[in-house]
Amino acid sequence: MAEGTKSSPEGGRFQFKVRGPQDFYGGLALIALAIFAIIASGELPGQHGFAFGPGTAPRMFATLLAVVGGLVALSGLFIDGPPIGHFALKGPAYVLTAILLFAGMIRGIDLQMIGIPLKIPALGLVLSTFVAFMVSIMGSTEMRWVESLIAAVAMTAFCVGLFVYLLGLPFQLWPL
Amino acid sequence: MTDLLANLALGFQVAANPYNLSFCLLGALVGTLVGVLPGIGTVATVAMLLPITFGLPPVGALIMLAGIYYGAQYGGSTTSILVNIPGEATSVVTCLDGHQMARQGRAGAALSIAAIGSFFAGCVATVLVAALGGPLTGLALLFGPAEYFALMLLGLIFAVVLAKGSVLKSVAMVLTGLLLSMVGSDLETGAGRMTFDIAELSDGIGFANVAMGLFGFAEIIRNLEMSAESREIVNTKISGLMPTRQDLIDSSGAIARGTILGSLLGILPGGGAVVASFAAYTFEKRISKNPERFGRGAIQGVAAPESANNAAAQTSFIPLLTLGIPPNAVMALMVGAMTIHGIVPGPQVMTKQPELFWGMIASMWLGNLMLIIINLPLVGVWVTLLRVPYRLLFPSIIVFCCIGIYSINNSPTDVVIAAIFGLVGYWLVKHDFEPAPLVLAFVLGPLMEENLRRAMLIARGDATVFATRPISAGLLLVAAFLLVLAALPMIRKRRDEVFVE
Repeated sequence: MAEGTKSSPEGGRFQFKVRGPQDFYGGLALIALAIFAIIASGELPGQHGFAFGPGTAPRMFATLLAVVGGLVALSGLFIDGPPIGHFALKGPAYVLTAILLFAGMIRGIDLQMIGIPLKIPALGLVLSTFVAFMVSIMGSTEMRWVESLIAAVAMTAFCVGLFVYLLGLPFQLWPL
Repeated sequence: MTDLLANLALGFQVAANPYNLSFCLLGALVGTLVGVLPGIGTVATVAMLLPITFGLPPVGALIMLAGIYYGAQYGGSTTSILVNIPGEATSVVTCLDGHQMARQGRAGAALSIAAIGSFFAGCVATVLVAALGGPLTGLALLFGPAEYFALMLLGLIFAVVLAKGSVLKSVAMVLTGLLLSMVGSDLETGAGRMTFDIAELSDGIGFANVAMGLFGFAEIIRNLEMSAESREIVNTKISGLMPTRQDLIDSSGAIARGTILGSLLGILPGGGAVVASFAAYTFEKRISKNPERFGRGAIQGVAAPESANNAAAQTSFIPLLTLGIPPNAVMALMVGAMTIHGIVPGPQVMTKQPELFWGMIASMWLGNLMLIIINLPLVGVWVTLLRVPYRLLFPSIIVFCCIGIYSINNSPTDVVIAAIFGLVGYWLVKHDFEPAPLVLAFVLGPLMEENLRRAMLIARGDATVFATRPISAGLLLVAAFLLVLAALPMIRKRRDEVFVE
C-alpha cells in the first residue's frame, strides 16, 4: 500500500492540478491494491452454478474497492483538500528495524531465501528483547546512552520475569 | 424476573469465587496500567495483554480480559485528564474539559467524577446486558444466513456513518478490510486465497496482528514525530479527590443521559464506545443552559462522555454474547480469546455454558466496583507512570507488543505482519483514512462471506432472498437509509461539526 507515497513526486506529470493530494494518491493506492488482489485471486474458481466459488467474494470486494478507490481519487482531483503530511523517516525506520530484528532473532532466520547470504541463529528472548529495545530507542531524537542501557536491561528483565516465569509461556531464553 | 435474579445469583457465585475475583482485579489493574500509557488505546491494550490470559481456565481468562478492557478504558481517561494526550479515541472528548479542569487545579474532581460516572453507567449496563441477553438470544433463533448477512452489513454501514471524515473514504476502508479478510484458506474448498504460498498466511492474517499494527505500532511511529513539549503533564499535586456536593449535583443529569445514550449506541453493531462518548458530549453541550462553559472545564463535559463510553463498552457485549457478532474491534479480540479456549461465541454460550455467560456479566459489575476502589487511591501511581519520559516508554511498548504478538502463535511471521500493518497505519493517517471501519470489516469479513454464500446457496442463487425475508429486508432498508442520510450534504456538515469539537 506504499505505492501512493512513492508516486507522489510524479504528481507534476498531470496536466491539471491535483486539488486534494491526500485523497488523490490515497485513492490511486487503493486502486493498485484492488488490481493486485484481482490478479492474485485470478486463478481461483469463481461462481459455479448458484454456489459461490472461492474466488467470487475476493474478486467482488476487489472490484468494488477499485470503483470506490477511483471515486476517492476523482474527488481528490476536483475537490480542494489538505496536502499530504510530511512522512518522517528516522523514527519509522528504527522502529521497523527493531521489530524486524526481534522477529528474525527470536527463532533465527535464514536470509538466503531472499538472496542475502546471512543466517541468523535463534538467539532467544533475552538478546532479542534487548536488541529490539536498543534499536527502537535510537529512533528517538532525545536518546541518551546510559539511561537507555539501564532501561533496556530493566525491560528485558521485566519481560523475562513476566512471560517466562510468571506466565510460563514457552520461550527459549538464550542462544542455543 | 425471578429467572433474571437466579441467573445473576449464579453469575455472582461464579464471579465471587476467589480465583475469579483475583483475575478480575488483576485484569483491571494491568488494564489500567497499560491503558494509562499515552498513545496506547483499548484495542492495543487488549491485544497486547491477550497472551497473558492463555494459561488460565476459560471463565477466568474471559473475566480477566473483561477486566483489562474496563481498566484500559479507565486508564485512558486518566491520561486524557492529566496529560492532554488521549490514550485512545474514546477519551478524546474527555480531554476537552477534563484537562481544563486539571489545569484549574480540579484534577481530583475530574478523575473522581469520571470514575463515579463510569461506575453508575456500568451498573445500569450490567443489568441491561443481563435483562436483554435472554430475549435477544431468542431473537437469534429467527436469524438465518440472510439476516446475519444483512445485520453485519448494517453494522458496517453504521461504522461508515459514524466514522469521522469522508463517507466515501470510510466505505473504501470497509472494502479494504473485507478484501484483507479474504486472505487465507477458503472456508468450503480449502483453496488458498491470495496466500502466495506463504504457509503462515494459509490461516489468514491474524486479527491481533492487524490491530496491533494499526493501533499500536502506527500510533508510536506517529507519536515519534511530535516533540516532547506537546505533552504537558499537570504538575500540581492532586488534592481533594472527592468531588464536592455541587459537582455531584451538576453532573448527575449528565451521567444519567450519558448512560442511556451509551447503552443504546453500544448495542448497535459498528457503534460502540467512541461514538457514544462523542454523541453524549455533543448532546450535553446542546441542552446545556450555558454551552460556552464547555471546553473550559465544565464537569458535565467529563461526566457525560465517560458514562457513555463505559455503558457502551458494556452493552457491546450483547451482540457478541447473543448473536456471536463482534460489534467492534475489542469484541473481535474477545472472539479470538474465546476461540482459543474452545468457546464459539453465540446464542449457545448462554444455554450450554451458563456459568461462563452469567459469570462474565457479574464480573463486569465487580470489575467496575474494583476500578472505582483501586483507581482513586492509586491515582498517584498512575501519575508517576505518566512522568516516565516517552523516549523510554515507547521502546518498552514496542518490545512488549513484539513479545505479545509472537507468543500468540509462536510465530515470527506474525510480528513481521504487525510491522507491515504499522506502516500501513502510518500511511492511512497521513492520507486521512480512518482505520476503525477497516478493522471492523476485517473482523466481520469471513462471517459475512460465509453467511452470504450460505444464504445464496439456500435460495438457489436467487439474490432477492435478502429483500423477501422481512427481517433481512428491514435491516437492509435501515442500512440504505443511513447511507443516504450520511451522504446528504446538510447532514454531513452537521456531522463534521460534531467531530470538529
